[in-house]
Amino acid sequence: MTESILIVDDSRTIRMMVRTALEGRGYDVLEASNGVVALSVLARQVPDLLLTDVNMPEMDGLTLIREARAQPGLASLPILVLTTEFADDIKQEGRRAGANGWLVKPFNPKQLCDTVALALAKFGSVAP
Amino acid sequence: MSRQPRPVAQAPPAHAGVPRRDVTIIIGGVAAAKEPTLIRTLLGSCVSACLYDPVTRIGGMNHFMLPYAAEGTEAGDATRFGSHSMDCLIGMMMRLGADRRRIVAKVFGAGHVLPGITSADSVPYRNILFIRQYLADENIPVAGEDLGGRCARQVQFFTDTGRARVRQVDLAAARLALQQEQERGQEQPSCGSVELFD
Repeated sequence: MTESILIVDDSRTIRMMVRTALEGRGYDVLEASNGVVALSVLARQVPDLLLTDVNMPEMDGLTLIREARAQPGLASLPILVLTTEFADDIKQEGRRAGANGWLVKPFNPKQLCDTVALALAKFGSVAP
Repeated sequence: MSRQPRPVAQAPPAHAGVPRRDVTIIIGGVAAAKEPTLIRTLLGSCVSACLYDPVTRIGGMNHFMLPYAAEGTEAGDATRFGSHSMDCLIGMMMRLGADRRRIVAKVFGAGHVLPGITSADSVPYRNILFIRQYLADENIPVAGEDLGGRCARQVQFFTDTGRARVRQVDLAAARLALQQEQERGQEQPSCGSVELFD
């Protein structure tokens, strides 16, 4: 079964670039423009992995991660952060919030897809 | 964002005539400020976007050389490329307190400073297409632009008022801008780091 990835980024340009990369690797892609929209998507459909930016209007990425982790059905969802933020303190804040990994933009499409595959294997649910 | 401490607790009125911090950026540069700051750059075929949130009076400017990094390239600083440079600038302003839904843009540069090269595949032409498309896609209104032509430009942007001053510059300055762009153009762009937590 095709794995699905929810991309959360307030930049349409970045969402399009990430979508192109992931679809090229065969993933199904869902999109949300901020944390609030992402939570409404998650209420309808749980993807195999969540990939979120940090700085977004309405709800930022770290708040989104905390909100998601507070929901029983999303406690083990693999979550990666894709952001321009590279400082160690915010990275550690992301880790404490419940992120499984941290990618600093700009991304290389191959590197992004490899990291998503690795995170799915490491943190995703094991197929029966 | 300021890397130097500044003893100003509150941004003064724009017309107060207070001294501004003065920052110069070159290709790949991205700067944003909450305190009154004058950001300058010199453009040949590159483009600068000056972004401004009129409510918080936070502003910033970048200076990029090409729209996108070529696929498969690695290492170097990626803010030379518009897609990443714009993302960095908006992110930097949001960290300072700007709201991207209020941001307006003024864009400059993309001069055909090399004689005889004006094709649709030229760097300046691609830069113009990119920045217009990017701002349209991101719903960022364009409050002003001065793009194209055959000149180099010196741009000054006042982050607390959103005012931009553009001056066409002479051949020597154009050559300096072009030389900077060509030297930087030979470097390779980078990709960010990846870390999976335990």
